[in-house]
Amino acid sequence: MPSLREVESELRRALLGGDDAPARTRVRGDGLEPAARLAIYRHHVVTTLTAVLQATFPVVCRLVDERFFAYAADRFIQVEPPSGPCLFEYGAGFADFLAELPACRSLPYLADVARLEWAMQRALHAPDAIPLPIRAMQGVAPDLAASLTLSIDPSVTLLSSRYPIDRIWRANQADEPEPAVVDLADGGTRLEIRRCGDDVVFRALDPPVFAFRHALASGADLAGATAEALAADAAFDLGPALAAFFADGLPIALGRTPSTPGDDPCQSQL
Amino acid sequence: MIPGGRLGAGWVGIGLRAPHVSEILAARPPVGWLEVHTENYLGGGPAPRALDRIRREHPISLHGVGLSLGSAGGLDRAHLARVRDLVKRVEPALVSEHLSWSIAGGAYLNHLLPLPYTEESLALVGAHVALAQEALGRPLLVENPSSYLRFRHSPIPEPEFLAELARRTGCSLLCDVNNVFVSCRNFDQDPVAYLDALPAAAVGEIHLAGHAENEADGRIILIDDHGSRVSDEVWALYARALERFGPRPTLIEWDTAIPALTVLLDEARRAEAAITRSVAEGASRALAA
Repeated sequence: MPSLREVESELRRALLGGDDAPARTRVRGDGLEPAARLAIYRHHVVTTLTAVLQATFPVVCRLVDERFFAYAADRFIQVEPPSGPCLFEYGAGFADFLAELPACRSLPYLADVARLEWAMQRALHAPDAIPLPIRAMQGVAPDLAASLTLSIDPSVTLLSSRYPIDRIWRANQADEPEPAVVDLADGGTRLEIRRCGDDVVFRALDPPVFAFRHALASGADLAGATAEALAADAAFDLGPALAAFFADGLPIALGRTPSTPGDDPCQSQL
Repeated sequence: MIPGGRLGAGWVGIGLRAPHVSEILAARPPVGWLEVHTENYLGGGPAPRALDRIRREHPISLHGVGLSLGSAGGLDRAHLARVRDLVKRVEPALVSEHLSWSIAGGAYLNHLLPLPYTEESLALVGAHVALAQEALGRPLLVENPSSYLRFRHSPIPEPEFLAELARRTGCSLLCDVNNVFVSCRNFDQDPVAYLDALPAAAVGEIHLAGHAENEADGRIILIDDHGSRVSDEVWALYARALERFGPRPTLIEWDTAIPALTVLLDEARRAEAAITRSVAEGASRALAA
């Protein structure tokens, strides 16, 4: 008599496109081949998860057409099934998967369009956050400002691409009957994607502003983020950039780089 | 008074689906209660915010599809904690889950998969139900699944398995009458005998939904797709369930090819009428006796 763990492990393999022979031996035919009964379940697993991916990546689906999307989704579901039951969290690895899929090489921008759609999905379901007012900065001692870090609104993604993915996305909305022609030679873009109220929005940022916000979002302190911004544009001015960062409501908490252990008193000042 | 915590006068609820949210917020239709899928509300953003508004007007039932009570690998404690937080926030009238499993080897298979009904499964599901009830601070309703396969080694009949689960854990049962019909038809069993084998006092909720007929190798297989009106045969079985269990909170479920809200409300009225008829018939039988 097999253990429940064995039975579930065998069914999992059969439902994710692996060998279904062990699972077949556990199943009663009841007038059908056991394989046909397992196929009913496999069909449901694949079609419902494909629908989840299609809803999250509608522009990718439009770019490759539904049949190819279904093929790609089927492969993806096998190698990276959902890790949990909240399906709005499923698809984080889809862009990387598409980037490695040989059949997608003729669409070099496809993976970045998927990254944009994933960032929009993340933004829609991110936890609600309360923006930090800029007066929170007033309590920071000047000599500690350089090592200050800022936690940002969890709905925000800063995404750069070598391709004009924002224009590709807009040209491929469902209400655009004839997608406009986008010239890949137009060059790349640097996007800030976030939720505002109930809506997900994105916009292109200038290179130094993107570098500054991207560095802060990645955990860099103010000194490090400023250096990144200056590398993008020597004319970068920290004051207005920081003011705009707060005015946009991105920072939600202050912190410090953990480079100076035993230097705790500053925590209470923040 | 916030109605979130208990059912009001209406016995019949409908499943709240995204296309109907703004209409329900605007029109406040006369429906007894609303059921949502727990896992759709465990993030932030517009969906949980809309639920916060809806719960001020309607009692809510949280119907989970992700606890995977039958997983041999154990309950996902992090997921259970998220469900607990949502229960605290929504104060639902009912909290339900399924007699099934969906997670194995770290993969969530997005299907309410069948269990072999053995002593091992009974002990495992019983322990998981007890753990979930402890974490949520309230009894669960556990729903009978729709099935397309049975295991060779599955010696305990499903209704007896559910009855014993309720006896051991104090959980209630959610009797999905459409699932009873679908499973029994798929395995040439008698759905009335199935209902008769459930402990009436433990049944705390009923689900009704439509199903599809598919053909596999010349054999008709019923698929529980929640994509159409409740079939006449399931309405007849529902009348039998009401006769046996008494009136119970009843849900109209619709998940694929979702129609206009009026269609769901129409099905809900039909269920209300069945409950009224059943109560009246029960009273007249009592008088005649």
